[in-house]
Amino acid sequence: MISDRLTLFVIVAALGLLILVLEMVRRRALAEKYSLLWLGLAVIILVLAVARPALDRIAPVLGIYYAPSALFVTGFVGLLVILLYFSAVITQLTRRSRTAAQHIGILTERIEQIESKIKRDSDPK
Amino acid sequence: MLFVQIVLLIDIYNSVYLVKSRSDLKILVIIPAYNEQVSISMVVKSVNQSLPEADIIVINDGSKDSTLSVAAGSGAKVISLPYNLGIGAAVQTGFMIAHNGKYDVAVQVDGDGQHDPQEIGVLLDHLLNSDSDVVIGSRYLINLGYVTPIARLLGIRILAKYISILCKKRLTDTTSGFRASNRRAIQVCASSYPSDYPEPESLVTFNKIGINTSEVPVSMNQRYGGKSSITPFWSAYYMIKVILAVTILSLRRAPNLEDKTNDF
Repeated sequence: MISDRLTLFVIVAALGLLILVLEMVRRRALAEKYSLLWLGLAVIILVLAVARPALDRIAPVLGIYYAPSALFVTGFVGLLVILLYFSAVITQLTRRSRTAAQHIGILTERIEQIESKIKRDSDPK
Repeated sequence: MLFVQIVLLIDIYNSVYLVKSRSDLKILVIIPAYNEQVSISMVVKSVNQSLPEADIIVINDGSKDSTLSVAAGSGAKVISLPYNLGIGAAVQTGFMIAHNGKYDVAVQVDGDGQHDPQEIGVLLDHLLNSDSDVVIGSRYLINLGYVTPIARLLGIRILAKYISILCKKRLTDTTSGFRASNRRAIQVCASSYPSDYPEPESLVTFNKIGINTSEVPVSMNQRYGGKSSITPFWSAYYMIKVILAVTILSLRRAPNLEDKTNDF
């Protein structure tokens, strides 16, 4: 089934990615919701690499006549999707941290005012 | 009967004319400042001098110099952001305070001293006597002696032309941060204010959601201290980036104006 060295290499790499991501999730170094895309990509590549006959049939449909290239195309598209998703996440985080910083600024000034008012009120002249 | 009518007339007169006088308004002057220790004290003092009835708030945008202590020493209320957020977010913080504090008018004045606080009155008068929601001080509406380097002037002209076309109205100074906004505009700016190139971008947003803008001529000083965020060398680059940003913005849906400031 595993006919050539390249396919074997891809299978090992995909398995490695799968294990690495799962381990990172287990150690809480990676949040579940950010691991799903990685896991999905690893599984797809793994399945395509193992099921070589299917790959041989799908690849020509996409105009790819060297079947293993289809694995790399899959990996490339998958990475693009993941990067785009993370750019969107960064955008959202930036917006949220900006709002948080603005609120910190406003609230800090308020606390200082309240504290100095309390000090003034409790000061026995 | 006649008496009642006279009282009524006086009432109408009051509501039409007196309420619109400047002294009845709650005015907040927002001064964003990033590393402006040289000029900030002078700016605060001259705002206070030309508009003693207004509250002044300095937004210290994570300055690395002593802007914070100088501003606090000058008698203004100072909001210090925990790290540098950029001019857009700093100004928006001011609008959040204006919105929460139910101010009638918010005036933006740059912390570098290039705006002449004596001209705030010109902005205010126009804001009260026109249907504008935002009045912008323009250096280029009529020539009052403001000298701009050639490269930058060209960039500013092209940008103004482009944004005028986008907004379908004549605008001459799209990068001016010298503005007065009424309550309606304050509410919009508090909940949604662009952060990358806030001055030109906000004009497009205003146009989109039906906030009326108009320009009045002002003179403006050359920079007092610190460094301009736009050096001549970067003028062209800046202009292209702003044109791109504004183009994308004009294709975008109008912002969702949920109230982010309710929690205070």
